[in-house]
Amino acid sequence: MPPIVTCRGLSKTFGKGELAVHALRDADLDIMPGDIATLAGPSGSGKTTLLNMIGALDEPTSGEVSVDGQPLSGLSRSQLSDLRLSKIGFVFQSYNLIPVLSARENIEFVLQLQGVSAAERRDRAMNAIKEVGLSGMEDRRPGKMSGGQQQRVAVARALVSRPKIVLADEPTANLDSKNALELVDLMRNLNREHGTTFLIGTHDIRVMEHSMRHIEMVDGRIDSDARSSG
Amino acid sequence: MIDGLKTMLPLAWRNLWRNPRRTGITLIVVAIGLWSILFFNAFMTAWAKSSKETTLQLLLGSGQIHAEGFMDDPSIETLMDPPDQDLASALDAPAVADWTTRVVVPGVVQSEYKTLPATIVGVDPVAEARISSIPDRIAEGRYLSGSDDDSVVLGLHMVERLKTGLGRRVILMSQNAEGAMSEQSFDVVGIYDADKATEDLYVFTGRAASQRFLGLEGEIAQVVFVLQEDTALEDAVAALADAAPALDVRGWKELNLFLASMDSYMGVFVQVWLGIVFSLMAIGIVNTQLMAVFERTQEFGLLRALGMKPRRVLFMVTIENALLIGTGVLLGMVLAAVTIWSLSDGIDFSAFARAMEMVQTGEIIYLDFEPGAFILFPGLIWLLGILVTLWPARRASRCRPVEAMRRET
Repeated sequence: MPPIVTCRGLSKTFGKGELAVHALRDADLDIMPGDIATLAGPSGSGKTTLLNMIGALDEPTSGEVSVDGQPLSGLSRSQLSDLRLSKIGFVFQSYNLIPVLSARENIEFVLQLQGVSAAERRDRAMNAIKEVGLSGMEDRRPGKMSGGQQQRVAVARALVSRPKIVLADEPTANLDSKNALELVDLMRNLNREHGTTFLIGTHDIRVMEHSMRHIEMVDGRIDSDARSSG
Repeated sequence: MIDGLKTMLPLAWRNLWRNPRRTGITLIVVAIGLWSILFFNAFMTAWAKSSKETTLQLLLGSGQIHAEGFMDDPSIETLMDPPDQDLASALDAPAVADWTTRVVVPGVVQSEYKTLPATIVGVDPVAEARISSIPDRIAEGRYLSGSDDDSVVLGLHMVERLKTGLGRRVILMSQNAEGAMSEQSFDVVGIYDADKATEDLYVFTGRAASQRFLGLEGEIAQVVFVLQEDTALEDAVAALADAAPALDVRGWKELNLFLASMDSYMGVFVQVWLGIVFSLMAIGIVNTQLMAVFERTQEFGLLRALGMKPRRVLFMVTIENALLIGTGVLLGMVLAAVTIWSLSDGIDFSAFARAMEMVQTGEIIYLDFEPGAFILFPGLIWLLGILVTLWPARRASRCRPVEAMRRET
């Protein structure tokens, strides 16, 4: 089975000359379908930069990223938007929900961008809400939800569009232990039941323990890439 | 597209109320700006209309016909015969509401105390009442009883200056048809109240009486006509000029250049005001919307990260702005309509009567609800408002997701 994500010789440098910061150095990586991989390493090791490159949110200085066989270089901003919309789901550290929309509307929003009909949007959003364990809270706005609940909505939003891969950057960083563990369980279950591919940038040992693949980054390089029995 | 709008509109409406204070300020700016434009337009239109009607109804009429040369030298030597059959037929055309003839000569009026220059006007009081507002402006006494009435009606201010009054006698003097001076004593039977310039200049007597006084054999100085519709002025003047090619036919726009320029430039005044108000509004709106976009940079980054295309972000922010400005425009329209409606009985400027006379306007200005203005100006403000907010909207749409999401606001 071909990899969902392929990175070859990926480098990213911020600034120029003596002030240049090499955030990513010559990274090679394949993410296979069904992987639940963690990207770990100290702050500044390049985790977020790598996730941003794979998520088509930022451009590499050199090297190439392909998502689902599609090289990202040369794509216009509009084409990159289409690719993110159809193939990639995002979960961010600070949830990043739209504050004026309810939980269901936040989830439906991505489907609306995809042009899914109103009826189907509603069905799929309600299913996603049920799957992340938030039934009964669909009409609440983010401001009326706990951090854990908001992050579950963010996971549901990332999954509802049926992406090829979900990229999560420090998804448990703002959560307490209980909510963090519940979120990890949720991602693990979604991976097991639907084969959803996750690439999670994290410091959190609890997340790493539940991953089937652990990628360690140091100084912008991939230092180790090991699979566990899960 | 429709589905997209159905989703975008409620989202846009909710986004507007995320910062009620800023939205409120923008709404007030737009509403008051539009209100001022609509009110100013209604006021200026009403003022111009009042000014025009007051002046035309006083003595001017829609137009006048004179002998060639009379306008340059209005004397007894430049009089004309009463309208012949061709001209009378043209004056009886449906476009002409009414007409009359006058004798108008320069002269002097003398009391026991003072002698003043005056324009002596001989009128047919019955026809004059249909053409001019002077017969309705009698402050004391009465108007002339007929063309043969050899008494006079003087202006209020002239009476004060002559130190004369009702029931007293004054002497009119003017050059007669034979080139000699005629003078005759007339009873003051009425005093009229108009603007000061008119009161100081015109002395009215019967037309036949004035012809006798001046030794005329039916000659007149002018034909005054009033049209059914002012829009027919140019056609009517052309038709009358055709019927009387030897005479000088002029519409009011040629006879009173000040009034004509007021009439033409009224629209320009409103446009200048529109420009000033809109410029101020645009600065306010662009500033507040730039601030709103700046505060939501992270959110726009998120939308872009989720896969929203730049043009869709532009569309979304533009819908928000259209909704915001549209709401302000609706408020402004309601405010203006209520103001105009509540003043439809007229704004009384009688406390400034003399000032109003100077600008040749009635003391009461009646505001009219003008449906055309309520479509044109709000539409213009709405469209221009959306246009200026395209700049902040474009900034939002061009944000780079990774940088935008990193920004703390």
